[in-house]
Amino acid sequence: MAAYRDKDPRIHGIKTKIRVVPNFPKPGIMFQDITTLLLDPKAFKDTIDLFVERYKGKNISVVAGIEARGFIFGPPIALAIGAKFVPLRKPKKLPGEVISEEYILEYGRDCLEMHVGAVEPGDRALVVDDLIATGGTLCAAMNLLERVGAQVVECACVIELPDLKGRERLHGKPLYVLVESH
Amino acid sequence: MQQALQKLASLSAPPPPIIEARGRTRLPPPRCFSTAADRRRRFANRELSLSSWMATSFERSNGAKKGAEAARDQHMESDGGPDPRLAKIASSIRVIPDFPKPGIMFQDITTLLLDPEAFKDTIDLFVERYREKNISVVAGVEARGFIFGPPIALAIGAKFVPMRKPNKLPGEVISEEYSLEYGTDTMEMHVGAVQPGDRALVVDDLIATGGTLCAAIKLLERVGANVVECACMIELPELKGRDRLGNKPLFVLVSSDI
Repeated sequence: MAAYRDKDPRIHGIKTKIRVVPNFPKPGIMFQDITTLLLDPKAFKDTIDLFVERYKGKNISVVAGIEARGFIFGPPIALAIGAKFVPLRKPKKLPGEVISEEYILEYGRDCLEMHVGAVEPGDRALVVDDLIATGGTLCAAMNLLERVGAQVVECACVIELPDLKGRERLHGKPLYVLVESH
Repeated sequence: MQQALQKLASLSAPPPPIIEARGRTRLPPPRCFSTAADRRRRFANRELSLSSWMATSFERSNGAKKGAEAARDQHMESDGGPDPRLAKIASSIRVIPDFPKPGIMFQDITTLLLDPEAFKDTIDLFVERYREKNISVVAGVEARGFIFGPPIALAIGAKFVPMRKPNKLPGEVISEEYSLEYGTDTMEMHVGAVQPGDRALVVDDLIATGGTLCAAIKLLERVGANVVECACMIELPELKGRDRLGNKPLFVLVSSDI
Protein backbone atom coordinates (compact mmCIF):
# COMPACT_ATOMS: atom_id res chain seq x y z
CA MET A 1 0.00 0.00 0.00
CA ALA A 2 1.24 3.48 -0.72
CA ALA A 3 0.14 6.51 1.21
CA TYR A 4 0.30 8.66 -1.89
CA ARG A 5 -2.74 6.87 -3.17
CA ASP A 6 -4.58 7.93 -0.07
CA LYS A 7 -3.81 11.50 -1.05
CA ASP A 8 -2.86 12.52 2.46
CA PRO A 9 -2.06 16.22 2.14
CA ARG A 10 1.31 15.74 3.84
CA ILE A 11 2.61 13.40 1.14
CA HIS A 12 3.13 16.08 -1.46
CA GLY A 13 5.28 18.10 0.93
CA ILE A 14 7.39 15.04 1.67
CA LYS A 15 7.83 14.05 -1.94
CA THR A 16 9.02 17.48 -3.03
CA LYS A 17 11.67 17.48 -0.31
CA ILE A 18 13.41 14.39 -1.64
CA ARG A 19 16.32 15.30 -3.85
CA VAL A 20 17.37 13.16 -6.81
CA VAL A 21 21.11 13.11 -7.46
CA PRO A 22 22.04 11.67 -10.88
CA ASN A 23 24.89 9.23 -11.39
CA PHE A 24 25.43 8.37 -7.74
CA PRO A 25 27.01 6.13 -6.55
CA LYS A 26 27.75 5.24 -10.15
CA PRO A 27 26.71 6.33 -13.66
CA GLY A 28 23.09 5.61 -14.53
CA ILE A 29 21.79 5.51 -10.96
CA MET A 30 19.35 8.27 -9.95
CA PHE A 31 19.97 8.43 -6.22
CA GLN A 32 16.99 9.30 -4.01
CA ASP A 33 18.47 11.59 -1.37
CA ILE A 34 16.39 11.90 1.80
CA THR A 35 18.82 14.25 3.55
CA THR A 36 16.99 17.24 2.10
CA LEU A 37 13.82 15.95 3.74
CA LEU A 38 15.63 15.96 7.09
CA LEU A 39 16.41 19.65 6.60
CA ASP A 40 12.71 20.47 6.77
CA PRO A 41 11.52 19.84 10.34
CA LYS A 42 7.85 19.87 9.36
CA ALA A 43 8.30 17.43 6.48
CA PHE A 44 10.47 15.15 8.61
CA LYS A 45 7.88 15.22 11.39
CA ASP A 46 5.09 14.50 8.91
CA THR A 47 7.04 11.49 7.62
CA ILE A 48 7.35 10.04 11.10
CA ASP A 49 3.74 10.89 11.95
CA LEU A 50 2.44 9.01 8.91
CA PHE A 51 4.25 5.86 10.01
CA VAL A 52 3.30 6.26 13.67
CA GLU A 53 -0.38 6.76 12.83
CA ARG A 54 -0.30 3.53 10.88
CA TYR A 55 1.50 1.39 13.46
CA LYS A 56 0.33 2.81 16.78
CA GLY A 57 -2.54 0.40 17.25
CA LYS A 58 -0.81 -2.66 15.82
CA ASN A 59 1.00 -3.95 18.91
CA ILE A 60 4.43 -3.70 17.35
CA SER A 61 7.03 -4.71 19.94
CA VAL A 62 10.17 -4.16 17.87
CA VAL A 63 11.25 -1.75 15.16
CA ALA A 64 14.27 -3.00 13.23
CA GLY A 65 16.18 -0.30 11.35
CA ILE A 66 18.65 -1.05 8.60
CA GLU A 67 22.02 0.68 8.74
CA ALA A 68 22.46 3.55 8.22
CA ARG A 69 19.45 5.51 6.95
CA GLY A 70 17.05 3.15 8.68
CA PHE A 71 18.64 4.46 11.89
CA ILE A 72 17.24 7.90 11.10
CA PHE A 73 13.60 6.87 10.64
CA GLY A 74 13.33 3.78 12.84
CA PRO A 75 14.09 5.19 16.31
CA PRO A 76 11.56 8.07 16.19
CA ILE A 77 8.88 5.57 15.15
CA ALA A 78 9.93 3.13 17.90
CA LEU A 79 9.88 5.87 20.54
CA ALA A 80 6.43 7.04 19.52
CA ILE A 81 4.84 3.59 19.53
CA GLY A 82 6.68 2.30 22.61
CA ALA A 83 8.60 -0.43 20.82
CA LYS A 84 12.22 -1.42 21.25
CA PHE A 85 14.64 -0.46 18.50
CA VAL A 86 17.04 -3.00 17.04
CA PRO A 87 19.80 -1.91 14.64
CA LEU A 88 20.55 -4.25 11.76
CA ARG A 89 24.14 -3.63 10.77
CA LYS A 90 26.89 -4.31 8.28
CA PRO A 91 29.37 -6.97 9.40
CA LYS A 92 31.60 -6.45 12.44
CA LYS A 93 29.89 -3.31 13.71
CA LEU A 94 27.83 -4.91 16.47
CA PRO A 95 29.80 -6.01 19.53
CA GLY A 96 29.09 -9.31 21.22
CA GLU A 97 27.19 -12.24 19.82
CA VAL A 98 25.38 -11.75 16.51
CA ILE A 99 23.56 -13.75 13.87
CA SER A 100 24.26 -13.05 10.21
CA GLU A 101 22.28 -13.22 7.00
CA GLU A 102 24.00 -13.09 3.65
CA TYR A 103 22.28 -11.57 0.65
CA ILE A 104 22.99 -11.00 -3.03
CA LEU A 105 23.97 -7.69 -4.54
CA GLU A 106 24.13 -6.78 -8.19
CA TYR A 107 27.80 -7.78 -8.09
CA GLY A 108 28.76 -9.99 -5.20
CA ARG A 109 27.30 -10.47 -1.74
CA ASP A 110 26.79 -8.57 1.48
CA CYS A 111 25.85 -9.46 4.99
CA LEU A 112 23.46 -8.09 7.60
CA GLU A 113 23.88 -8.77 11.34
CA MET A 114 21.63 -8.61 14.39
CA HIS A 115 22.37 -9.08 18.08
CA VAL A 116 21.54 -12.41 19.62
CA GLY A 117 18.90 -11.89 22.29
CA ALA A 118 17.68 -8.52 21.05
CA VAL A 119 14.55 -9.99 19.48
CA GLU A 120 12.50 -12.73 21.14
CA PRO A 121 10.18 -15.37 19.75
CA GLY A 122 6.74 -13.88 19.39
CA ASP A 123 7.97 -10.29 18.98
CA ARG A 124 5.90 -8.41 16.41
CA ALA A 125 8.35 -6.61 14.17
CA LEU A 126 8.39 -3.69 11.79
CA VAL A 127 11.35 -3.33 9.42
CA VAL A 128 12.28 0.22 8.47
CA ASP A 129 14.57 1.59 5.79
CA ASP A 130 14.61 4.82 3.81
CA LEU A 131 14.11 3.11 0.45
CA ILE A 132 13.28 -0.24 -1.15
CA ALA A 133 14.98 -0.96 -4.47
CA THR A 134 15.48 -4.64 -5.34
CA GLY A 135 14.35 -5.72 -1.88
CA GLY A 136 17.49 -7.71 -1.12
CA THR A 137 18.33 -5.85 2.08
CA LEU A 138 14.78 -5.91 3.43
CA CYS A 139 14.58 -9.59 2.63
CA ALA A 140 17.75 -10.27 4.62
CA ALA A 141 16.35 -8.23 7.51
CA MET A 142 13.12 -10.21 7.50
CA ASN A 143 15.04 -13.47 7.45
CA LEU A 144 17.06 -12.45 10.50
CA LEU A 145 13.93 -11.59 12.44
CA GLU A 146 12.06 -14.73 11.45
CA ARG A 147 15.05 -16.91 12.30
CA VAL A 148 14.76 -15.84 15.93
CA GLY A 149 11.03 -16.44 15.96
CA ALA A 150 9.71 -12.93 15.50
CA GLN A 151 6.72 -12.20 13.32
CA VAL A 152 7.41 -9.55 10.69
CA VAL A 153 4.18 -7.57 10.52
CA GLU A 154 5.22 -5.15 7.77
CA CYS A 155 8.12 -3.42 6.04
CA ALA A 156 8.02 0.37 5.95
CA CYS A 157 10.00 2.66 3.67
CA VAL A 158 9.80 6.30 2.73
CA ILE A 159 10.45 5.58 -0.97
CA GLU A 160 9.81 2.67 -3.33
CA LEU A 161 11.37 2.17 -6.76
CA PRO A 162 8.54 0.02 -8.16
CA ASP A 163 10.35 -0.73 -11.44
CA LEU A 164 12.85 -2.82 -9.49
CA LYS A 165 10.05 -5.04 -8.15
CA GLY A 166 11.37 -5.21 -4.63
CA ARG A 167 7.86 -5.72 -3.32
CA GLU A 168 7.80 -9.18 -4.86
CA ARG A 169 10.89 -10.22 -2.95
CA LEU A 170 9.32 -9.88 0.48
CA HIS A 171 7.83 -13.40 0.75
CA GLY A 172 4.35 -12.00 0.65
CA LYS A 173 4.95 -9.66 3.58
CA PRO A 174 3.18 -6.33 3.23
CA LEU A 175 5.13 -3.23 2.30
CA TYR A 176 4.06 0.30 3.17
CA VAL A 177 5.67 3.27 1.44
CA LEU A 178 4.97 6.98 1.37
CA VAL A 179 6.20 7.86 -2.12
CA GLU A 180 7.02 6.05 -5.34
CA SER A 181 9.72 7.06 -7.76
CA HIS A 182 9.96 5.84 -11.34
CA MET B 1 11.45 -8.02 27.43
CA GLN B 2 12.85 -8.07 30.97
CA GLN B 3 14.17 -11.56 30.30
CA ALA B 4 15.84 -10.39 27.13
CA LEU B 5 17.49 -7.54 28.99
CA GLN B 6 18.67 -9.83 31.75
CA LYS B 7 20.06 -12.28 29.25
CA LEU B 8 21.95 -9.57 27.44
CA ALA B 9 23.16 -8.06 30.70
CA SER B 10 24.41 -11.42 31.88
CA LEU B 11 26.65 -11.72 28.85
CA SER B 12 28.98 -9.17 30.35
CA ALA B 13 27.45 -9.11 33.85
CA PRO B 14 28.11 -5.51 34.87
CA PRO B 15 27.51 -4.71 38.48
CA PRO B 16 24.82 -2.13 39.12
CA PRO B 17 25.87 1.51 39.06
CA ILE B 18 26.90 3.16 42.30
CA ILE B 19 24.72 6.08 43.22
CA GLU B 20 26.54 8.44 45.50
CA ALA B 21 25.01 10.11 48.50
CA ARG B 22 23.84 13.55 47.67
CA GLY B 23 26.52 16.19 47.69
CA ARG B 24 29.48 14.04 46.72
CA THR B 25 30.94 13.12 43.39
CA ARG B 26 33.07 10.07 42.88
CA LEU B 27 36.07 11.05 40.83
CA PRO B 28 38.31 8.54 39.12
CA PRO B 29 41.80 8.41 40.66
CA PRO B 30 44.38 10.15 38.48
CA ARG B 31 46.30 7.78 36.29
CA CYS B 32 49.33 8.37 34.14
CA PHE B 33 48.61 5.46 31.87
CA SER B 34 46.46 2.42 31.76
CA THR B 35 47.45 -1.00 30.51
CA ALA B 36 45.08 -3.60 29.21
CA ALA B 37 45.62 -5.46 32.48
CA ASP B 38 44.62 -2.35 34.43
CA ARG B 39 41.47 -2.07 32.41
CA ARG B 40 40.56 -5.69 32.94
CA ARG B 41 41.09 -5.32 36.67
CA ARG B 42 38.86 -2.29 36.75
CA PHE B 43 36.27 -4.10 34.73
CA ALA B 44 36.19 -6.87 37.31
CA ASN B 45 35.37 -4.25 39.93
CA ARG B 46 33.45 -2.17 37.55
CA GLU B 47 31.43 0.75 38.63
CA LEU B 48 29.76 3.04 36.25
CA SER B 49 29.78 6.44 37.80
CA LEU B 50 26.99 8.85 37.19
CA SER B 51 28.36 12.05 35.82
CA SER B 52 28.17 14.34 38.86
CA TRP B 53 24.76 13.15 39.85
CA MET B 54 22.88 14.69 37.09
CA ALA B 55 23.56 15.66 33.53
CA THR B 56 25.81 18.65 33.71
CA SER B 57 27.64 20.74 31.24
CA PHE B 58 31.00 22.30 31.85
CA GLU B 59 31.27 25.76 30.48
CA ARG B 60 34.78 26.72 29.61
CA SER B 61 35.64 30.31 30.15
CA ASN B 62 38.48 32.21 31.68
CA GLY B 63 38.57 31.75 35.40
CA ALA B 64 35.81 29.14 35.49
CA LYS B 65 36.62 25.98 37.37
CA LYS B 66 37.06 23.06 35.06
CA GLY B 67 35.90 19.49 34.99
CA ALA B 68 35.37 17.76 38.26
CA GLU B 69 35.57 20.83 40.43
CA ALA B 70 32.91 22.57 38.47
CA ALA B 71 30.80 19.44 38.58
CA ARG B 72 31.10 19.27 42.33
CA ASP B 73 30.13 22.87 42.72
CA GLN B 74 27.36 22.59 40.22
CA HIS B 75 25.63 19.66 41.75
CA MET B 76 26.09 20.99 45.25
CA GLU B 77 24.26 24.08 44.19
CA SER B 78 21.43 22.18 42.56
CA ASP B 79 18.41 21.30 44.60
CA GLY B 80 17.40 17.65 44.30
CA GLY B 81 20.20 15.08 43.81
CA PRO B 82 20.57 12.85 40.81
CA ASP B 83 17.94 12.76 38.13
CA PRO B 84 16.16 9.46 38.82
CA ARG B 85 16.20 8.55 35.15
CA LEU B 86 19.98 8.38 34.98
CA ALA B 87 20.42 5.21 37.05
CA LYS B 88 18.27 3.20 34.69
CA ILE B 89 20.02 4.65 31.66
CA ALA B 90 23.47 3.88 33.06
CA SER B 91 22.55 0.33 34.00
CA SER B 92 21.12 -0.43 30.58
CA ILE B 93 24.43 0.17 28.81
CA ARG B 94 26.37 -3.03 28.26
CA VAL B 95 30.17 -3.26 28.25
CA ILE B 96 31.77 -5.73 25.86
CA PRO B 97 35.44 -6.48 26.56
CA ASP B 98 37.98 -6.72 23.76
CA PHE B 99 35.87 -5.17 21.04
CA PRO B 100 36.73 -4.16 18.36
CA LYS B 101 40.19 -5.26 19.46
CA PRO B 102 41.90 -6.61 22.61
CA GLY B 103 42.07 -4.17 25.48
CA ILE B 104 39.12 -2.03 24.41
CA MET B 105 36.06 -2.08 26.68
CA PHE B 106 33.27 -1.28 24.26
CA GLN B 107 30.30 0.68 25.58
CA ASP B 108 27.30 -0.88 23.87
CA ILE B 109 24.19 1.33 23.78
CA THR B 110 22.06 -1.16 21.85
CA THR B 111 20.83 -2.65 25.09
CA LEU B 112 19.49 0.75 26.08
CA LEU B 113 17.53 0.86 22.82
CA LEU B 114 15.83 -2.38 23.85
CA ASP B 115 14.25 -0.61 26.82
CA PRO B 116 11.69 1.87 25.44
CA GLU B 117 11.44 3.72 28.74
CA ALA B 118 15.20 4.16 29.12
CA PHE B 119 15.55 5.21 25.48
CA LYS B 120 12.75 7.73 25.88
CA ASP B 121 14.29 9.07 29.09
CA THR B 122 17.61 9.52 27.30
CA ILE B 123 16.02 11.60 24.58
CA ASP B 124 13.94 13.54 27.11
CA LEU B 125 17.03 14.50 29.10
CA PHE B 126 18.61 16.01 26.00
CA VAL B 127 15.40 17.64 24.80
CA GLU B 128 14.77 19.26 28.18
CA ARG B 129 18.22 20.78 28.02
CA TYR B 130 18.08 22.07 24.44
CA ARG B 131 14.44 22.97 23.98
CA GLU B 132 14.82 26.63 24.87
CA LYS B 133 18.26 27.13 23.40
CA ASN B 134 17.20 28.07 19.88
CA ILE B 135 19.07 25.23 18.25
CA SER B 136 18.43 25.29 14.51
CA VAL B 137 20.46 22.22 13.52
CA VAL B 138 21.30 18.87 15.12
CA ALA B 139 24.31 17.21 13.49
CA GLY B 140 24.54 13.47 14.12
CA VAL B 141 27.74 11.53 13.59
CA GLU B 142 27.43 8.27 11.64
CA ALA B 143 26.17 5.82 12.61
CA ARG B 144 25.09 5.78 16.27
CA GLY B 145 24.61 9.54 16.21
CA PHE B 146 21.84 8.80 13.70
CA ILE B 147 19.92 6.97 16.42
CA PHE B 148 19.95 9.76 19.02
CA GLY B 149 20.16 12.89 16.87
CA PRO B 150 16.90 12.70 14.86
CA PRO B 151 14.55 12.20 17.85
CA ILE B 152 16.17 15.21 19.52
CA ALA B 153 15.90 17.27 16.33
CA LEU B 154 12.25 16.34 15.88
CA ALA B 155 11.37 17.26 19.44
CA ILE B 156 13.06 20.66 19.37
CA GLY B 157 12.04 21.55 15.81
CA ALA B 158 15.56 21.64 14.39
CA LYS B 159 16.80 20.26 11.11
CA PHE B 160 18.91 17.08 11.19
CA VAL B 161 22.20 16.87 9.31
CA PRO B 162 24.04 13.54 9.02
CA MET B 163 27.85 13.67 9.27
CA ARG B 164 29.11 10.71 7.30
CA LYS B 165 32.07 8.57 6.36
CA PRO B 166 33.50 9.31 2.89
CA ASN B 167 31.53 8.62 -0.29
CA LYS B 168 28.20 8.01 1.43
CA LEU B 169 26.58 11.40 0.90
CA PRO B 170 25.47 12.09 -2.70
CA GLY B 171 26.08 15.44 -4.30
CA GLU B 172 28.43 18.16 -3.16
CA VAL B 173 30.14 17.72 0.21
CA ILE B 174 32.84 19.28 2.31
CA SER B 175 35.36 17.03 4.06
CA GLU B 176 37.39 17.19 7.23
CA GLU B 177 40.24 14.82 7.94
CA TYR B 178 40.98 13.73 11.49
CA SER B 179 43.49 11.54 13.28
CA LEU B 180 42.91 8.03 14.50
CA GLU B 181 45.18 6.02 16.75
CA TYR B 182 46.75 4.68 13.55
CA GLY B 183 46.21 6.78 10.48
CA THR B 184 43.44 9.19 9.61
CA ASP B 185 39.78 9.17 8.68
CA THR B 186 37.50 11.65 6.94
CA MET B 187 34.10 13.06 7.80
CA GLU B 188 31.77 14.67 5.26
CA MET B 189 28.82 17.02 5.38
CA HIS B 190 26.55 18.24 2.59
CA VAL B 191 27.23 21.66 1.13
CA GLY B 192 24.23 23.87 1.79
CA ALA B 193 22.76 21.81 4.62
CA VAL B 194 23.99 24.23 7.26
CA GLN B 195 23.89 28.01 6.87
CA PRO B 196 25.98 30.78 8.41
CA GLY B 197 24.42 31.70 11.71
CA ASP B 198 22.82 28.30 12.32
CA ARG B 199 23.03 27.32 16.00
CA ALA B 200 24.26 23.73 16.05
CA LEU B 201 24.24 20.80 18.43
CA VAL B 202 26.56 17.86 17.67
CA VAL B 203 25.32 14.45 18.81
CA ASP B 204 27.09 11.10 19.10
CA ASP B 205 26.63 8.13 21.40
CA LEU B 206 30.05 8.41 23.01
CA ILE B 207 33.09 10.68 23.29
CA ALA B 208 36.45 8.93 23.60
CA THR B 209 39.47 10.88 22.35
CA GLY B 210 37.24 13.59 20.89
CA GLY B 211 38.71 13.33 17.40
CA THR B 212 35.40 12.64 15.69
CA LEU B 213 33.50 15.37 17.52
CA CYS B 214 36.31 17.78 16.82
CA ALA B 215 36.05 17.07 13.09
CA ALA B 216 32.28 17.59 13.25
CA ILE B 217 32.73 20.94 15.02
CA LYS B 218 35.21 22.05 12.37
CA LEU B 219 32.89 21.16 9.51
CA LEU B 220 30.07 23.16 11.06
CA GLU B 221 32.24 26.15 11.84
CA ARG B 222 33.74 26.15 8.36
CA VAL B 223 30.29 26.92 6.95
CA GLY B 224 29.67 29.63 9.51
CA ALA B 225 27.53 27.81 12.05
CA ASN B 226 27.82 28.42 15.78
CA VAL B 227 28.36 25.14 17.61
CA VAL B 228 26.48 25.63 20.86
CA GLU B 229 27.34 22.30 22.49
CA CYS B 230 28.31 18.67 21.95
CA ALA B 231 26.01 16.07 23.46
CA CYS B 232 26.87 12.43 24.12
CA MET B 233 25.39 9.67 26.19
CA ILE B 234 28.75 8.45 27.46
CA GLU B 235 32.11 10.00 28.17
CA LEU B 236 35.39 8.14 28.74
CA PRO B 237 37.06 10.87 30.77
CA GLU B 238 40.47 9.19 30.91
CA LEU B 239 40.83 9.71 27.20
CA LYS B 240 40.47 13.46 27.73
CA GLY B 241 38.21 14.02 24.75
CA ARG B 242 36.72 17.01 26.52
CA ASP B 243 40.05 18.83 26.27
CA ARG B 244 40.15 18.31 22.55
CA LEU B 245 36.94 20.26 22.04
CA GLY B 246 38.66 23.53 22.85
CA ASN B 247 36.17 26.04 24.13
CA LYS B 248 33.13 24.03 23.13
CA PRO B 249 31.00 22.74 25.99
CA LEU B 250 30.28 19.03 26.30
CA PHE B 251 27.18 17.55 27.90
CA VAL B 252 27.06 13.87 28.83
CA LEU B 253 24.70 11.67 30.79
CA VAL B 254 27.07 8.95 31.93
CA SER B 255 30.78 8.81 32.65
CA SER B 256 32.70 5.55 32.45
CA ASP B 257 36.09 4.93 34.03
CA ILE B 258 36.98 1.94 31.90
